[in-house]
Amino acid sequence: MFRKFYLLYGFLTLGIAAFGQYRGWSLDSINELKNVPKSVRDNPGSYRSVYSGYHHYTGGK
Amino acid sequence: MSQPVVNCPNCGAKIVFRWSSSVQTVCEYCKSILVRTDVDLKKVGQVADLPPDSSPIQVNTEGKYGNKAFVVVGRILYEYDQGGWNEWHVIMNDGTSAWLSDAQNEYAISLPAKMQNLPAASQVTVSQQFTWNSQPYTVTVITPAHYRGVEGELPFQYWDKTDVTFVDLRTESGKFATLDYSDPEPALYLGEFVEFDDLKLKNLRSFEGW
Amino acid sequence: MGAGTPPLSGPPKPQVKALNCPKCGAAIILRSFGQAETVVCESCRSILDAKDPNLAILQQFEIKTSDTKPLIPLGTRGKLRGTDYEVIGFQRRSTKVEGITYSWHEYVLFNPYKGIRYLSEYNGHWNDISICKQLPMAAGGGANYLGEIYKHFQTSDANTDFVLGEFPWQVRVGEHAVVTDFVHPPRMLSSEKMDKEVTWSIGEYMYGHEIWEIFKLPGAPPEPMGVFENQPSPVATNVTSIWVAFAAFAVFLLALMAVFDMRARKEQVFNRVYQYKHADAKSEASFVSDVFELTGGTATVEVKSYAPVDNHWIYLNYALINQDSGQAWDFGREVSYYHGYDSDGSWNEGKQTDDVVIPSIPAGHYYLRIEPEADPSLPFIPYTVEVIRDVPVYGIYGIAFVALLLPALIISWRAYTFERSRWSESDHPPMDLSNISSSSGDDE
Repeated sequence: MFRKFYLLYGFLTLGIAAFGQYRGWSLDSINELKNVPKSVRDNPGSYRSVYSGYHHYTGGK
Repeated sequence: MSQPVVNCPNCGAKIVFRWSSSVQTVCEYCKSILVRTDVDLKKVGQVADLPPDSSPIQVNTEGKYGNKAFVVVGRILYEYDQGGWNEWHVIMNDGTSAWLSDAQNEYAISLPAKMQNLPAASQVTVSQQFTWNSQPYTVTVITPAHYRGVEGELPFQYWDKTDVTFVDLRTESGKFATLDYSDPEPALYLGEFVEFDDLKLKNLRSFEGW
Repeated sequence: MGAGTPPLSGPPKPQVKALNCPKCGAAIILRSFGQAETVVCESCRSILDAKDPNLAILQQFEIKTSDTKPLIPLGTRGKLRGTDYEVIGFQRRSTKVEGITYSWHEYVLFNPYKGIRYLSEYNGHWNDISICKQLPMAAGGGANYLGEIYKHFQTSDANTDFVLGEFPWQVRVGEHAVVTDFVHPPRMLSSEKMDKEVTWSIGEYMYGHEIWEIFKLPGAPPEPMGVFENQPSPVATNVTSIWVAFAAFAVFLLALMAVFDMRARKEQVFNRVYQYKHADAKSEASFVSDVFELTGGTATVEVKSYAPVDNHWIYLNYALINQDSGQAWDFGREVSYYHGYDSDGSWNEGKQTDDVVIPSIPAGHYYLRIEPEADPSLPFIPYTVEVIRDVPVYGIYGIAFVALLLPALIISWRAYTFERSRWSESDHPPMDLSNISSSSGDDE
């Protein structure tokens, strides 16, 4: 009985892994924005990044 | 099977033989032990009241062993230090005679075997080995028993025995043998244990509440 | 002649016998049709000879023995293995191990056609027991019965403390036997040596709820405590099959990896070296790259950054922007590398490269908007930005592998702890994990 569950679970896991590869999933965290105007090409500074407003890196050790 | 009908020489009751080769029977009414001669029946003794026993088998119980049907026609009762047991005399549907032993609801079927050179009672010890029909049998238990009574039809004369020695032997494969020292000549029976369900017994005794 | 002799109705039907106790006069019922050797008076607890019509007293007590109420009342009937049995006797027995007394209970079951069986109960664990018809054979330290090998579990002294009802042997309170148990779950082989006689019995584990169903008992059965000698392991049978399934899945996973690896185009669509100048940071540091095309269906995009940092850092704020749809993927990447010497020797931290995979980017025309920052002490540094279309993500396989492994590990662990628990009660308890022995338990 338990074996059936594991087989189902295993195929599901493999299926999800395959689907993810096919659809281009990634493990890195990326933020998405919409409606970036075409004017950004001429004025890159006007782009409002998620990270804008603060330097969240001070670097160093 | 031929069913000769005769009358009990003691009380006149009707005696029916279910088996043509019966040598002895017991009159159900007056408990006389009757032996068959060429012509008629002769009373040779009396059976005392049988002890109350709990065997579910009775005379006229029917059953199956292998592919043969059988019917119970008689019995011999024994007692030993652990209690009693019955040796039920059964007739197979091919007319042969066999024994169904019943000891505390443990059942076994055995058949008489003709073997040469059977040992005397004094010569047998536990763990001794004998070979019959190419099978090795080991002596497991030597039981001094005593006879308690008879009922129904038997293939030989058997009554008023007192102490009888039985030797039990077993094989590795679950078969067993018995050396019966009731008579001066030892008798050998070869058989096997059987399960109650496999015997497909019908017409068993009924117990109050069951 | 016997013309008028009435026909006989056959041998008398065996009856349940009602008698009176010779000591106290209480009613005694004999239900086993002559099979019992002894019967216990319910009132005064005297042990009487069941085969004697006068019920001779075999053992009597001045003080009442400490009572136990059987969980299955005497006289209850239930269907076990297709046959109805009636409970006719009960006893409480005990054994002393390291000063602690452990008690268990045994029930005598009777059927006039099938004979006698027994049920034992200890801490909520039940066993269906019958006397062996064949003798077991010795096999090493264990026993061989009907082709199965049973391992020695324990040998102990069992004392009879309390009895009720009918017994097929001459029971006495205070009698004791040397009991040896051999197990092959779910079965158990026991030998009982009383005086000079040895009796072998074979038992099969049963669960409380099965007993309650069979005898239609009210309430709930007692909760089982711990793992019993021959209790079947709920997971053991799964262990091998799960690892076999896991191995098959692992192979599948590798195949999947190979297939997708071949399928991925890994196409470089952009590769440019930029110069970071500290001076620019004061004014507008951000800029946009040239437009490049990402082809194919929705797929990953890898962005690789490289800079020859040496005890410095640079930080690149990236945005991958779809020129037509206006959708952007925003991410920041640090490239830093430090190294030096200390009391432990040389050390280093970080890397001069960084990789990131952006997920599920549809085909289209894209450009990068980049806003670099750097360590204030860095006046300028070149850095390379590379964009690769359609790369496999190996981390997904890693997660899948762990996901597949976890149940197998859990099941194996549970089976292992179950067996340890079982054998901890035996004469062969498992040793510490520091010197592991297998649970075959024949090391002592």
